Amino acid sequence: MDLKLSPFPTLEKQMPIEHGRFEAYVDNGGTVLAVGGPDYCVIAGDTRMSDGGYGIQTRKYTKIFQLTDKCVLATSGMQADTLALQKRLKTMLSHYQKEHGKPMSTPAIAQFLSNTLYYKRFFPYYTFNIVAGIDEKGEGCAWTYDAVGSHERVKYASQGSGNQLVIPLLDNQVAKFNQQIIAGGNVTSQQAVSFVKDAITSAGERDIYTGDYADIVVVDKDGVHWEKFELKLD
Amino acid sequence: MFLTRSEYDRHVNTFSPEGRLFQVEYALEAIKLGSTTIGIQCAEGVVLAVEKRLTSPLLEPSSIQKVVEIDSHLICALSGLTADSRTIIDHARVETQNHRFNYDEPMTVESTVQSICDLALRFGENRKGEEKMSRPFGVALLIAGVDEKGAQLYYSDPSGTYTQFHAKAIGAGSEGAQQTLQEKYSKSMTLDECQALALTTLKQVMEEAVTTSNVELAKITTKDGKYKIYSKEELEVIVSTL
Amino acid sequence: MEELNRGGFTFDLCSRNTLLEKTGLKMPGFLKTGTTIVGVVYKDGVVLGADTRATEGPIVADKNCEKIHYIADNIYCCGAGTAADTEMTTALISSKLKLHKLSTGKEPRVVTALTMLKQMLFKYQGHVSAALILGGIDINGPSLHTIYPHGSTDQLPYVTMGSGSLAAMAVFEAKYKTDMTRDEAIQLVAEAISSGVFNDLGSGSNVDVTVIAKEGVTVLRNYLTPNERKFRGPEYIFPIGTTPVLSKLVAPLSSKVIIEDVVMS
Repeated sequence: MDLKLSPFPTLEKQMPIEHGRFEAYVDNGGTVLAVGGPDYCVIAGDTRMSDGGYGIQTRKYTKIFQLTDKCVLATSGMQADTLALQKRLKTMLSHYQKEHGKPMSTPAIAQFLSNTLYYKRFFPYYTFNIVAGIDEKGEGCAWTYDAVGSHERVKYASQGSGNQLVIPLLDNQVAKFNQQIIAGGNVTSQQAVSFVKDAITSAGERDIYTGDYADIVVVDKDGVHWEKFELKLD
Repeated sequence: MFLTRSEYDRHVNTFSPEGRLFQVEYALEAIKLGSTTIGIQCAEGVVLAVEKRLTSPLLEPSSIQKVVEIDSHLICALSGLTADSRTIIDHARVETQNHRFNYDEPMTVESTVQSICDLALRFGENRKGEEKMSRPFGVALLIAGVDEKGAQLYYSDPSGTYTQFHAKAIGAGSEGAQQTLQEKYSKSMTLDECQALALTTLKQVMEEAVTTSNVELAKITTKDGKYKIYSKEELEVIVSTL
Repeated sequence: MEELNRGGFTFDLCSRNTLLEKTGLKMPGFLKTGTTIVGVVYKDGVVLGADTRATEGPIVADKNCEKIHYIADNIYCCGAGTAADTEMTTALISSKLKLHKLSTGKEPRVVTALTMLKQMLFKYQGHVSAALILGGIDINGPSLHTIYPHGSTDQLPYVTMGSGSLAAMAVFEAKYKTDMTRDEAIQLVAEAISSGVFNDLGSGSNVDVTVIAKEGVTVLRNYLTPNERKFRGPEYIFPIGTTPVLSKLVAPLSSKVIIEDVVMS
């Protein structure tokens, strides 16, 4: 009988065993929004931080970061990257203060953040930002960003997991899209706060990643004013 | 003078036993050989006036430029080794443009002057990716600019020091000119009066008569933050009133 | 022909679908009840509990849906998984069991429902995603079972299922006792569901409880409502005329309709 040896199994033919690959990014969820007024800006962000799935990691993670007494940064996305970004901006702001003898203006911060994000174009900070506050003229202002620094100055903005729920509300109530009769004059900061609370409460009703509590921040000529606000815990 | 300085003036970064950096002092001397340059600041803005030395009638006056733009809100007049100023101006232009790129705002006057002085002090220093500068710059600058603090005039010299002035004269005729400025300057002057004072002072210390081709005049106004270097025709009007 | 007559199920379409998904086809999203459901046996019966949140991805699709399904007068079933699968499966078994009762003339037993459910789910090889908690009372007394989507089953004194099962089980493991009273059992079930509601993002809104005892069934729909909206802003008023009218066209109906006399033969 003809006895043939089967070819010896070679190692390269074996497929590598797939282990749990390292994931550089996780979306910790949450919603942030900002509405600029004539001489104030209202910024809101929920404080839930989830694990990207069905788990809550903490109910009290503040997504809003005060940069100067005229400017705050609201960030959703990955918490670790958010903290790294906040830390970097904080040091660079203090650097600027010492070098130029004045705090960085809100528009300058807006430009600087864009550059900071684009600097990591090919390994981005997984963050979705809103810079908001008052500009040199004292007017309320806001900027929105994508993760790699594309930005735009806007009257109002929202970012994060509840973005799609909040945007139509802002389009209707702030931009007054497709409305012939626009009732009421200038919106006061108290009215804006009430509206923003309603918006983030609504996001919490329908977005599972938005909830627990919210920070409501008002920036005006007197500085940055914080308020804690209750959302649903489920 | 040169005979007394022995070996302590060989290296740019060697102090003499009396605590002096001779190379820097020599550089300051070089400025005293330069053409006279005057700057006067008032609430309305800053005026810069510079003497152009036309060493030959065959020289084309427009080929000498003593007042240059750093940024749209910053100009500078120079005295001393003109060639050295190229390095400084290029540096300042890069710095101000970088600032605009980073912060979407013009750089403040003082910050710009500071960055110029940082460069002026880099002589004899080794930096990665940079050519080693063998000696201090032989040029002094009068920097005029406008920012949120208003119009300002700064003087910076080869030692890397900068000082703010209301009125300042540098170059060959600076001693006489500074004296005149001290007597005539008042804080309440208008920009036109500053202009007249700058030119008459320059006229005093110049060997030749003031013409449209041997002086350069520039101003920067607080109101719009824009500068203007006078053309020959515009200069003609002012010179004729002297 | 012989191939076709072999009987049984083919899952060719399932493997076709996974293949198509790999090439980029998007399957329609299903309503999932990322859920907390629990059950507990107490002294004289069974208590079932469920949250009321239905999700579609990260969005809450229904804030007050029902997850405790009727099977028979003495049997109820909690469902987790794809909403359509749990609803259809329980409804199908409910009617089959009714027919069974009518033909045998005997009260349905929990194990009968259990067997029917597991046989059906096994038949579909896990493609029907229904994870169930079956509870009821019959001649053998109260009993409680879990059924997994592939058809495997369990019988236990206290059970949890769904995405909030770990949160709920943590409560059971800490506080379950044998021979609890009815009130104790309801209290424990409500607490277990609440744990899922607050700690699992797939669960939320209200707590539904159903008690199955020898004396009868008590459906405690929305037994707890701990998640009412906490804030409402000012009213949004839009005066008449807010929406611009771009164009107007009035067409009399007669111009569109032809009226004819029809002669009846």
